[in-house]
Amino acid sequence: MSEHEPAVHEGRRVLGVVPGTPPVGERKVPEDQDLVMVWPHLLVRHAVVAIATLLAVLVVSLLFDAPLRDLANPFETPNPEKAPWYFAALQELLSHFHPLVAGVLVPTAVIVGMAALPYLDRSLYTSPRFRKVAVWTFTLFLTIWFVLTIIGFAFRGPNWSWVWPWQEWHGEL
Amino acid sequence: MRRQSPFRESTIGRSIFRSTERETTRDRAAGHWASFLLHVYPVKVRRRELGFRYSWYLGVISAVLLISLVVSGVYLMFFYVPSPASAYGDIQSLHTDVAFGQFIRNTHRWAAHLMVIAVAAHAARVFYRGAYKPPREFNWVVGVVLLLLTLLLSFTGYLLPWDQLAYWAVTVGTSMADFVPIFGDVIRETLLGGTQVGSETLLRFYVLHVAVLPLLAFGVLMIHLWRWRKDSMLDIANDEEFVDE
Amino acid sequence: MKHEIGRRQFLARGWKLGALLVGAAGAWTSWDVLRSRAEAGLGGVVRAARVDEVPAESTIYIRAAQTYLTRHEDEVIALWQRCPHLGCRVAWCESSGQFECPCHGSTFNRIGEYRSGPSPTGLQPFGVGVVEDEVEVDTGAVGRGPPPGAETIDEPVRGPTCIEGA
Repeated sequence: MSEHEPAVHEGRRVLGVVPGTPPVGERKVPEDQDLVMVWPHLLVRHAVVAIATLLAVLVVSLLFDAPLRDLANPFETPNPEKAPWYFAALQELLSHFHPLVAGVLVPTAVIVGMAALPYLDRSLYTSPRFRKVAVWTFTLFLTIWFVLTIIGFAFRGPNWSWVWPWQEWHGEL
Repeated sequence: MRRQSPFRESTIGRSIFRSTERETTRDRAAGHWASFLLHVYPVKVRRRELGFRYSWYLGVISAVLLISLVVSGVYLMFFYVPSPASAYGDIQSLHTDVAFGQFIRNTHRWAAHLMVIAVAAHAARVFYRGAYKPPREFNWVVGVVLLLLTLLLSFTGYLLPWDQLAYWAVTVGTSMADFVPIFGDVIRETLLGGTQVGSETLLRFYVLHVAVLPLLAFGVLMIHLWRWRKDSMLDIANDEEFVDE
Repeated sequence: MKHEIGRRQFLARGWKLGALLVGAAGAWTSWDVLRSRAEAGLGGVVRAARVDEVPAESTIYIRAAQTYLTRHEDEVIALWQRCPHLGCRVAWCESSGQFECPCHGSTFNRIGEYRSGPSPTGLQPFGVGVVEDEVEVDTGAVGRGPPPGAETIDEPVRGPTCIEGA
């Protein structure tokens, strides 16, 4: 009986106790899904990122000079001849496969495959935990591409033969 | 209440900014609405989008690099003539005779490399976060186009110094087009404007690099950002990475 | 049910067809303007050398035509320096008696036939004419490189190559 009887404190009856936030204003725990104003929350962060990026470019530009080799000469091919680093993976493939495969089919497949990705992978989950196939495929592709780029960029010397970058350096930026 | 700048409060200021107060949420939304530069942004975003973990800020970094490339590139254009007779010498005199010429060229070169990295990393981050899922599939495709344009911009710019590095890298790069079935020769010779890299090629790559590709890139970027802005309010219900079950 | 085309449908299709035609005309015009012109760069006829200057065991290089000249059964052959693989300049190596590409190590025998490496064909020949004992190379007429296969001359590698590691 006494358990269910409301307690009386200083002349006020407590009708019940419910979990909740204290009545000192709405102290809501912020959720990831909450909407926040872009101005200032996002803009401030973007401004900081922009300044940091420009600072990085400034420092790199002060430390390293852009390369300028000899005047172009159609009568002499440099050895090794390297494409820009972002094509190093392709160039590495080209030394192993027929140019139709490595120079046309592979790049086309990569571009078409990337563009078609959202239409092939139709699951609605966004967390990597629920998209193991997609994540593993993409990671495998990325790893292969990365390794080929590193090999083509740093591990290839005269006549596209294998060199160790700490012995001979042939990378060009 | 914080004082606004006198200019904003003036008749002219008001005519430009329309909404001069920046105190309440409503003011800010109104200011946002009236600003040309800010209309690229949505008014509100999900809170999770603020953090580093969400995007690693790679999209912003790419955009900032693009703008820095436009600025440094315009500066370089004042000192460069795209012909085999003068291109290489122009770069040399840029290094020696022009104030900060070498520095600006360094900026342009390194920012270009960084942008390729940033755009590729942006694509990878978007993939791992699953941000290409419906209804945002098409913006992913637009992003792939932007990645291609970034590569093409970088590649066309690579020829312009007209040194050995440039000449042979472009010779090798365009030779790949030879192996496209049937149209191979035609594609390569149209790209080069001849049977091999020459003055015609330099002019073509220059026009692509300073006019055609940047305009295309900015146009496509506008679509990309517009789509992002429209989708900023999306509440991904099954976004397991960010919502506890 | 209706099979004949109504006025609205006719107009709708007409507009699209018109737009398509204008687009095609624009594309054709741009193509015609931008396609490569033969006279750019190489393309002319180059008076290269006297016939008796062209060796049978070796080659001579004609810089103006970017061409190697050699002789095969009393016939002068002009080979473009461009490697059919990716366009690097192929160099004649006197010590090995073959052409060697510095980029990916493709090799070709003295008359340009494929020997090894990633190149899909042999070296591309130019048209050759002999006028009053002078060899003329027509750099506008690039032939197809011979497909890989048995070599028609019996000239094995005669010494060390000029490219290391190949």
